[in-house]
Amino acid sequence: MSDMNPVVRWFHQLGSPPYFDRFAARWAPWAYALGVATMAVGMYLGLFVAPADYQQGDSFRILYVHVPSAWMSLAMFALMALYGAIALVWRIKLCEILAMACAPIGAAFTAITLVTGSIWGKPMWGTWWDWDPRLTSQLVLFFLYLGVIGLYAAIEDRRAAARAASLLAVVGVVMLPIIRYSVVWWNSLHQGQTIRVFGESSMDPSMLPPLLWMVAGTKFWALGSLLARARADNLQREAGKDWVRALAEAPR
Amino acid sequence: MSYAAYVIAAYGVFVVVLLWDFVAPRIRTRQVLRAVRLLAARRQAARNAPSPQELKR
Repeated sequence: MSDMNPVVRWFHQLGSPPYFDRFAARWAPWAYALGVATMAVGMYLGLFVAPADYQQGDSFRILYVHVPSAWMSLAMFALMALYGAIALVWRIKLCEILAMACAPIGAAFTAITLVTGSIWGKPMWGTWWDWDPRLTSQLVLFFLYLGVIGLYAAIEDRRAAARAASLLAVVGVVMLPIIRYSVVWWNSLHQGQTIRVFGESSMDPSMLPPLLWMVAGTKFWALGSLLARARADNLQREAGKDWVRALAEAPR
Repeated sequence: MSYAAYVIAAYGVFVVVLLWDFVAPRIRTRQVLRAVRLLAARRQAARNAPSPQELKR
């Protein structure tokens, strides 16, 4: 262990439940704080600095919460499937916990995406909802998240529950390219890709900075939430252990 | 601001859902630690309790 690479050693230590608890308790508040600060800047720029759209007026400002949430809904599912696959192959307990912690965060961002999209759709499309390929596939993603959460809650044995739900997450990954390319493969009411990480975006540059702040902010927030949720699950699984009792009885 | 009600509603939904996302794991962590504390206290009380008279006879 002494001649082990420090990064590898740190990963091994992180797999220890008490070590992870201390790590999550220490860093989750920082990630949340960074997320709030970054999103506050993004919201200020998005609401008060970015110019109104020449066609959509100020309703376009909804995209500053809608688009980062939509990206997070896909990213959290990919992360959940990755942790789930590792948990299934190598049976790493911490990866089971992290995979299951991804589900409610991803579901929250998916719900935000659906609701804010609906709120934007009413004045712009004239309807709250349409069975459009992008909207429908995003709704299916939301149900997949609920399925993972439900399956994890339904089985009493925590490890068996996590493995069953991880399998659903891994299978559900097939939805991600369907959602991503739904606006290309089918005739969609939803607009096509306007923002590109690589290549030129068709969005006016003056409208881009708030979006980048919000994208960064939601990432930090999700990291904080992932640590906090994984910590709660880790504590529940380890509730019978001495280190949890010592933590519970420690003066605050 | 045009469409102000829609913009406020969308940002409101975003903030409310993230607030839930912040509060939910905190509540769960507190519940777990409280349950562990109560169980430990109950076990301690059971250990410290005098043996019932019935057993002394």
